[in-house]
Amino acid sequence: MKLDLNWPTIRLLVVKDWQLFQKQLAAYVLGGIVALGFLGLAKPWAFYIGSLLLIIVQVAVACFAISTSLLIERKEQTLAFVMSLPVSPLDFTIAKLAGNLLTFLVPFAVIGLATLLVILSTPLPDGLVVFALLLFGHILLAYCASLTVAMQVESEGWNTFVMIASMVLINPFIMLLGQIESIREVGRGEAIVWSGDAVLILSAQLLLGLALLAFTAWWNGRKPAFY
Amino acid sequence: MNPMLLLSASDPRPMYQQIVDQVTARVMAGEWSPGQSLPSIRELAASSGVSVITVKRAYEDLERAGVISTRHGKGSVVSDQPDQLRGLLDGTLDLHLAEATATAARLGLDRATLHHRLDAALDANRPAPSRPAARSDVAPADDTASPATPFRKGNGP
Amino acid sequence: MTLALELKGVSKHYPQFSLSDLSLTLPEGQIMGLVGVNGAGKSTLLRLLTGLAAADSGQIEVLGHRLPAAQVAVKRGVGFASEDMRLYRGQTLDWHIELVRRIYPEWDASYAASLMRRFDLRADQPIGGFSHGQRVKALLLLCLARRPKLLLLDEPTTGLDPVARAEVLESLAEVLRDERRSVLFSSHNTHDVEQLADSIAFIHRGRLLACADKERFLGDWRRILCMGEATPELSAWPELAQLRSAGRQIELKVRRWQDDIPARLTQAGLDVQRVDPMALEDIFVTTVRAGGAA
Repeated sequence: MKLDLNWPTIRLLVVKDWQLFQKQLAAYVLGGIVALGFLGLAKPWAFYIGSLLLIIVQVAVACFAISTSLLIERKEQTLAFVMSLPVSPLDFTIAKLAGNLLTFLVPFAVIGLATLLVILSTPLPDGLVVFALLLFGHILLAYCASLTVAMQVESEGWNTFVMIASMVLINPFIMLLGQIESIREVGRGEAIVWSGDAVLILSAQLLLGLALLAFTAWWNGRKPAFY
Repeated sequence: MNPMLLLSASDPRPMYQQIVDQVTARVMAGEWSPGQSLPSIRELAASSGVSVITVKRAYEDLERAGVISTRHGKGSVVSDQPDQLRGLLDGTLDLHLAEATATAARLGLDRATLHHRLDAALDANRPAPSRPAARSDVAPADDTASPATPFRKGNGP
Repeated sequence: MTLALELKGVSKHYPQFSLSDLSLTLPEGQIMGLVGVNGAGKSTLLRLLTGLAAADSGQIEVLGHRLPAAQVAVKRGVGFASEDMRLYRGQTLDWHIELVRRIYPEWDASYAASLMRRFDLRADQPIGGFSHGQRVKALLLLCLARRPKLLLLDEPTTGLDPVARAEVLESLAEVLRDERRSVLFSSHNTHDVEQLADSIAFIHRGRLLACADKERFLGDWRRILCMGEATPELSAWPELAQLRSAGRQIELKVRRWQDDIPARLTQAGLDVQRVDPMALEDIFVTTVRAGGAA
């Protein structure tokens, strides 16, 4: 397949998605800072509230990124406007994926890095880094799954279902991590030890997420027209 | 911006007929003199909000009637022979009058009734306030009495 | 003659609706009005012409490009606005202008400013606060100020108040000052089409019933009032689209009008009283009721 992409317009569409998301973005970063403040207190109750708040913020960022750029665009019929611009289905898919990843990954990465910094610079056990990265890995994977569905399926009901279901699965995932001894033990100590299990889980999360995105790009880009 | 012609959907005549009538009236009244350029078809269509094809048809009718002539590449101008044109229109009027008198005869109308009918037809064509006053304000057949709305406002008839 | 668009034997099937074997051309520099009842296939046709939808069979060429393959090139030269298209509620008209201006280098800022005044729009107000009419006008402004070679407009005047409608129609008429630009607009308001269009395409149930220049299309139809008895032979005339009678008065609506029709009616024993041209709306309704043969 010859790749004949309209880069200038793709870039403008990505910038457009970023602009539309800007206001919410500030709110999420602020929420993240509050959550990290609690974590940094290194008290059991504060740790509990802080980590809960942190997960809520990350999940909200994921859901709102998808919702702003795909679901609301479809519902409010601004999609028709975007499709009337000089873009092919492949251009559009790439712009949507890039815009979405940008609006999600920027706050996700900022909050994620800040979390690691807090863990390392406060009395919290440094081994929690492994635990935190695995949780973020789950949110990333859930986000990729939700994005894939949102790009394919028009039904709002299914989209909401997949978003909530994939994010709620973080609960059993945490329990699962608690069952794996190598990971549980690391989280209590100061040493950051990457066990085989931890590496396996994290790389599976990343690879699966990438595979989902690649599938979405291929699936939407191969269509000759939008309808 | 002043419109070149006063076209209206409230006028019962089709658009092209309104254009033909108004252009003819201006030429007859000497308002547009022989040799004067007419607006181009596209210009007139764009400024009066009617389609190009409607103006084109009106110009073709006007050309056939000898009111205007079209020179290749130079657009349309008012014809050089207004007298000839007047004669032509006179002839048309005579033809219609002959037809009208013939029909009146078939209906068995007398001369007075036919006069009344002619007056009534004249009144129907111009929004004069009342019939007795009509004599004094007789003007060359013109269009300026039609409402000055160049564009359709509202949903039409 | 350069064609702004050309369709040859185009079909598109959806589960509940299909567009069948459509062939249509629009010469450059003309306005075509697309007439049809709701659900006749007007929007589907416009989607095909913008490359948003791909035809199942047949060929579509717009501005010399084959669709859907060259949809990007086509969309560069086409201004498309449809009834179901919305702008971003939270953003201002200026924000939208900035986006469109960067995509289309032909953007004409002074034309945009004059349209802004004519349409009475505020550039710094979020679109969410616009009325329906203002939103439609904003969308049109974004299309018009690019000076596209072809405007494809789906129901541009639907839901507009009479003043806004006149403003929109005036600005469409002005597009044609440039003889290389063309317009195709759909409307179920036949008055708009009658006033503005050079040619009329008449769609019913996914089929093209007629496509002709407007003066010829209107010239083909007459409403005739006569006195007398309607005979079965008269009802069988192929020209007759509709016959109604009240007492001895008979109303005939005929297509393919010929000058000898009144004489033939007289021969059939009828006294012809009036022969009038018909408005597009009347032709439209008569055709649809007569089962769709124009």
